[in-house]
Amino acid sequence: MEQVRLFIALTLSILLQWAVRSIAEPLAYIDFPLIVVVYAALQGNTIRALFLATIAGISIDALSGGLLGANGFSKTLVVYLASEIARRVYMENLLLRVLLLASLSLIHGFVYYGVHRLLGQTMTDDFLSLIFYYTLATTIAGVFLFIILDTLILEGLSGVKKYEFFSIRRQPRRRNPIRLGRRL
Amino acid sequence: MTERSQKEIWRLSPWLTLILLMANFVLMAWDARTESNQRVLRVWAQTVAVFFQSPVNFLVTTVTEYFQSYVELRGAASENERLKQRIHELEIKLQNAEQLAAENERLRSLLGLKESYKGTVLMASVIGRDPSKWFGSVIINRGSLDGVKVNMPVITTGGVVGRVITVAPLTSQVMLLTDEKSGAGGAIIGELGNSTALGVLRGTGKKDLLEMRYVPGTVEVETGESVYTSGQDGIYPAGLKIGEIVEIKKGSTTTPHVIYVKPTADLSSVKEVAVLLYEGQKVERDDKIKR
Repeated sequence: MEQVRLFIALTLSILLQWAVRSIAEPLAYIDFPLIVVVYAALQGNTIRALFLATIAGISIDALSGGLLGANGFSKTLVVYLASEIARRVYMENLLLRVLLLASLSLIHGFVYYGVHRLLGQTMTDDFLSLIFYYTLATTIAGVFLFIILDTLILEGLSGVKKYEFFSIRRQPRRRNPIRLGRRL
Repeated sequence: MTERSQKEIWRLSPWLTLILLMANFVLMAWDARTESNQRVLRVWAQTVAVFFQSPVNFLVTTVTEYFQSYVELRGAASENERLKQRIHELEIKLQNAEQLAAENERLRSLLGLKESYKGTVLMASVIGRDPSKWFGSVIINRGSLDGVKVNMPVITTGGVVGRVITVAPLTSQVMLLTDEKSGAGGAIIGELGNSTALGVLRGTGKKDLLEMRYVPGTVEVETGESVYTSGQDGIYPAGLKIGEIVEIKKGSTTTPHVIYVKPTADLSSVKEVAVLLYEGQKVERDDKIKR
C-alpha cells in the first residue's frame, strides 16, 4: 500500500511540476519530484527509490528544453546518496531531513548543470544564483511536503505521526559485569 | 513474491545505480547529438506526456484565469478609457501606414522585387511551459499532423517568439528567443532598422534580454532602434521584428558593438502564437575540402 501511495505522490508531483509555471513563474524554482524521490529514498527501499528517481527525471526532461536524461541522471545519483546516508545516519528527525534535502538539492543543481556543460550545451551564465534559489525554494517546500507525505503515506488515516524535531539520544546497552569479569 | 532482504538491497543498489546512470547518460548523449535535427526519443516522450499535461494545464489555466478576471474587472473602467484613446492614436498610425504601404508597393514594383515570404500562417496556443527554470521553451498544440516542422519560426503580435525545436504528432516544442541555446542551435542574424547593419543575436539566459554581437563599431547605433530578422540565417524570413535596443556597449574601429535588445514579444506570458510554415534555405555543410 505504501508503494502505491508513493507512486501516486510522485505522479502528482510530476503533473504539478509540468503545470507550475502556468500558475506562477517563481514556483518553478521548486523541484517537487526531487522532494518525493528523496522522501522515497529515506524510507529504506533503495531499489524502489532509484527507479522512481529515473522515471521522475525522464518525465520532467520530456517537456523541458534540457537534455533528455539529464534530470534522470542527477536525480538517480542524488537518491543513491540519500539512501546511503539514510543507511548510516538516523534520519527520522525533521531537521536532519531538511538539511539533507538542502544539500541534495545543491548537488542536484550542480550535477544537472555539469552534465549539460560536459555534453557541450550552452547554459545560463548566472547558474550560481539559479542553483541558490532552486535549493532555497526546494528546501522550504520540502519541509511542508515531508510532513504531508509522512501523514499521507506512513500513517494514512490512522493518526498523525509525532515528529522528533531533535534526535533521540541513543542509550548504549549496559554490559553484564559478570560476563565482563569472566572474560578478564 | 518473495521480499528482498535489506542486505540484498544494499548489495544490489550500487550496481542498479550504475546501470541507471549509464542508461541516462546514453539518453543524454543521444539527445545531444547535433547531427540530428529531430530528437526521436524526445518526440515519443512528449507524445505520451502531452496526454497528461494538456488536461492539467487546462484546469490550472481555467482556475488562474477565473481569479485573474475577477481582479482585472476592478480596473476595467479606467482601462476602457485608456484603450479608447489608444484606438484613436492607432487609427492615425494606420492611415500613415497605409500610405507607406502603398508607397512601398509602388517602389517594389519599380525595382521588380518579389515578396520574399508568402507562406501559410498556422495559429497555435501555448499548452505548457518548461517545467524547470533552466530553460525557456514552451509547448504548443500544433504538431507534424498540422504541417509543423523543425526550425519553423514562431511569432506573435509583438514580434518573433522563437523557433520549433521538436515536433511530435500533436504538439511541438518551441525554443524562445531569449533562451541561451537559441544562439547556438540556430544563430539569428539580425538587421538594425536604421543602418541595416547585421549582427548575431543570442539569448542571455534572462527572460527579457538578447545580446547582439559582431555589429561593426563604426556603425551608428541608438537606443530605441528596432532590430529585424535579416533572412540570412536560413530560419527566419526577413523583416520580422525581433525587438528594440535598450543598451549599447560602444565599440571602436577595431572592436564591434555589444548591443542588448529587448524582445517586443511578451515572452513570459505568451499564450497565442502563429507558426510560419516557412522552411528557410538549408545551408549544406561540406566538410570535405575541395582542392
